[in-house]
Formats: sequence, structure tokens, C-alpha cells
Amino acid sequence: MRDYILYGLGLVAAFLLARDVQVIAGLPPEASQGAIFKIIFFHVPMAMTAMLCSFVALVGSVMFLMTKSFKYDAVAVSVTEVGLAFLAANLVTGSIWARVIWGIWWTWDARLTSALVCWLLYAGYLMLRRAIDEPTQRATFAAVFSIFAFIDVPIVIFSIKWWRTQHPAPVFWGGGSIPRDWFVLAGWNWLAMILLGIVLVAIRLRQEESQREIDSLRRMAHAM
Amino acid sequence: MHLLTQTFLLAQVTPDDPIARELARLQHNYEFLSYGLTAAWIIIVLYVLMMVARERKLKQEVARLRVMLEEKPKR
Repeated sequence: MRDYILYGLGLVAAFLLARDVQVIAGLPPEASQGAIFKIIFFHVPMAMTAMLCSFVALVGSVMFLMTKSFKYDAVAVSVTEVGLAFLAANLVTGSIWARVIWGIWWTWDARLTSALVCWLLYAGYLMLRRAIDEPTQRATFAAVFSIFAFIDVPIVIFSIKWWRTQHPAPVFWGGGSIPRDWFVLAGWNWLAMILLGIVLVAIRLRQEESQREIDSLRRMAHAM
Repeated sequence: MHLLTQTFLLAQVTPDDPIARELARLQHNYEFLSYGLTAAWIIIVLYVLMMVARERKLKQEVARLRVMLEEKPKR
């Protein structure tokens, strides 16, 4: 991706986030939860961005196994890393919300546990990559691992429908009552986070290219 | 002495003021909201800083290898 497109996307993301923060700060406190409910405008879009990253990682991994083209492996590792950062932020914001509303930082309910397992699985994916030196073997093992790790993603999403959990039922999709303008605001925040994610993934992809260049230069150095 | 103790105890009891309680709850909520948002953005910023550091390391490594490869045939 060209530099000016990256800078442009980054600027749009920063502008949207700044505007959303200003609008969210001006919202009145919710009747039962108070001001802490505003965390939902970041907590939910961060989770959705992380899940989207997992899906792209799945597609990248499947495409790598089908084509053996390293560009798909680079996409998979880049989106996994960015998604992991968003999922970490999602877990932390959720935990802080829980401390105020439930009075506890953490509970082992289906949604929270499956989300933590998801984070650990993708962290394991990145650790697996570090453990294997040979590029083709590394990409193949990582792709298979990523496909298996994705099995947890539907469990995270539907856990609040499948089991009785302490985590609230879906507010935005699934019968929750939320004003339309709040829904739109959360949508804008999600767009901002997706744009931020695209910028981060593009930068990470360049690093993967540099890494491949280093690998080939090392091979040349050894051959001489 | 007993009367004095009771007076001190009564002086410490605060009236159950719902407005003060609500203000305290609101303050507590805003405090935790700011913690949550700060923590979330710190994670993202840390990740960006990690990427910047990695970028610098990769560029240095590419430059080092190129110099090494250019120097090798001269020997």
C-alpha cells in the first residue's frame, strides 16, 4: 500500500476517533449503569475488529495452504498480531467495566473464558512461528494452527446465546434496546478501528517483506 | 466519659444523602471509565511502539547484510 494512502487512512481513523470521543464524552450517564456504560463504544468495536482479524487470518491461512504463496502467510500473521492487540484491549476494558457493575474483575463464565482462550490461542500461534526457523514449515504449521484456533471464534460470539452467562446479552444485535444514534456512533467507532487496523496490518506486512528480504540476503551470504 | 464517647460516635455518622451518594457513584464510574479507556489505548500505543522498534531493527539488519554482501566479493 502506498505511503500517502496509509497516512490518509491513519488521519481519517484519528479524526473519527477524536470526534467519537468528543461525542461519547457528551452523552448523559445511562440510568442503571451510570457513566461506565460508555466503555461499550470501545469495548464492542474492539471485539468486532479482533474477530474480523481472526476471520481474515483464517482466509489467509486457507489460501496459503491452497497456493503455498507466502503473501497469504504474511497477511495471516499480520492480522493475527493486530487482532491480538485489539482483543487484549477488549479484555481489559471488559474487566474494568465488570469491576464497576459486577464488583469483580473477572469471572469464569463462557464468554469471558472463551475470549481469553481465543487470546491465548492466537498468542500461541505467534509463539509457534518463533519456534520454527524453516519458512515453509513455519508457514504451513502456523496456517493449520490458525485454522484450528478459529474454531474458538464462533464459540466466543455465540457463547452468550448458547449458555446462560454473567456477560450481558448482545446490546447491538440480539434484542437489546439501544437508541439508534448510539448504534450509529458505535458503528463509526468500529469503522475508525477497522481503518486503524488496516494501517497497522499494512505496516506489519511491510515488515514481513523486510523479513523475507533478510532471509534471502542471509541465504545469499551463506552461499558466497 | 460514656456520654462523650457517644457524642463522638454520633458526630461521625453521615446522613444518608442520596445526592451525595449518587455523586460519589458518578465520580467512581468516571474514574473507572477513564482507567478503561487509558488502558485500552496504552495497549494499542505499546503495540505501535513495538512495531516501530521492530521496523528500525529490520532496516538495520537489511543494511548490515547488504554491506556485508557488497564487501564479500572484494576480498
